[in-house]
Amino acid sequence: TISSNHWILAWAGLEINTLAVLPLISKSHHPRAVEAATKYFLVQAAASALLLFSSMTNAWHTGQWDITQLTNSTSSLILTSAIAMKLGLAPFHFWFPEVLQGSPLITGLLLSTAMKFPPITLLYMTSSSLNPTLLTIMAILSTALGGWMGLNQTQIRKTLAFSSISHLGWMAIIITYYPKLALLNFYLYTLITTAVFLTLNTTKVLKLSTLMTAWTKTPALTAILMMTLLSLAGLPPLTGFLPKWLIIQELTKQEMAPAATIISLFSLLSLFFYLRLAYCSTITLPPHTTNHMKLWHTN
Amino acid sequence: MSYLHLSFYSAFTLSSLGLAFHRTHLISALLCLESMMLSMYIALTMWPIQTQTSSPTMLPIIMLTFSACEAGTGLALLVASARTHGSDHLHNFNLLQC
Repeated sequence: TISSNHWILAWAGLEINTLAVLPLISKSHHPRAVEAATKYFLVQAAASALLLFSSMTNAWHTGQWDITQLTNSTSSLILTSAIAMKLGLAPFHFWFPEVLQGSPLITGLLLSTAMKFPPITLLYMTSSSLNPTLLTIMAILSTALGGWMGLNQTQIRKTLAFSSISHLGWMAIIITYYPKLALLNFYLYTLITTAVFLTLNTTKVLKLSTLMTAWTKTPALTAILMMTLLSLAGLPPLTGFLPKWLIIQELTKQEMAPAATIISLFSLLSLFFYLRLAYCSTITLPPHTTNHMKLWHTN
Repeated sequence: MSYLHLSFYSAFTLSSLGLAFHRTHLISALLCLESMMLSMYIALTMWPIQTQTSSPTMLPIIMLTFSACEAGTGLALLVASARTHGSDHLHNFNLLQC
């Protein structure tokens, strides 16, 4: 998909991606895995069909199938919704936490990093003709929903799904103004999320209660996990702060300072659950979570 | 917009609405997916006829191949979900709720 100029080839690449990852999700034949695979398939197939429809509309109105010349406004709207469904941007994000929860950890890593790369490439290639209003609304909604819905989670894969949704919101808000920043955000997010997923895979933690005892297996790795989680949250001086800083700078240059403020305020919500993950992995000794009277629910 | 374009738009839109509003059975969702693909196939076939170009004539066949693969995968997932969940009722797909 990444190196294609024709819409049909892009669609074919996305279809092959979907079909290839489905057996990886349902490899263990557990009912949860099969259900996750079914949900993933339905959403991705519908999004691919919408993508094909938008390219067909564009072809009828402009007479060509080039990806970089998507000039029909209806077709760019439909394309944006189709790619939002593929990525998991709000309001099309409802499948993503459940699918990530039902898949094994390494497949979950693939789903949240590698499978997002072709749709983001398509957005990058068509970024000059996308509708900024729709993307800004979807981005703000994504960061809000990713922050709010991630607050009450004890399953780590669902938490990482909501973190992915909020990061995608950050990427979507800048893609019409400065697409390279969106790509930078995506690369850094991929790097940090890969580190988190691989750490979780090494220590085999899936729930918050298991995370609390993970320090006994590899103490150094859980210490680094704390740093990585805080980097995902976007705290300076860690790397995760860099894309947020550059995006806010670019948004204020484009006279969109209110949007920049709203999106950074909503990412404070996700900071809470990153802090909770970091806290439970490194600072506490089980089974007591704190020395205070209030206890966090961990199961 | 000519009558031909309108018929394709409405066919695709109706199928996608059917996919969005499916209620009980997974197989009705798969059927609506197939009808979306069918409308796209016929639209792709009409395109080189309308614009008198002969180069994209093979595109419908390629598209049909991919949609057939997708349909096969959908049916395999239907069978797998029938084995693990007992039926294809969508109410039973609640193992992964928050």
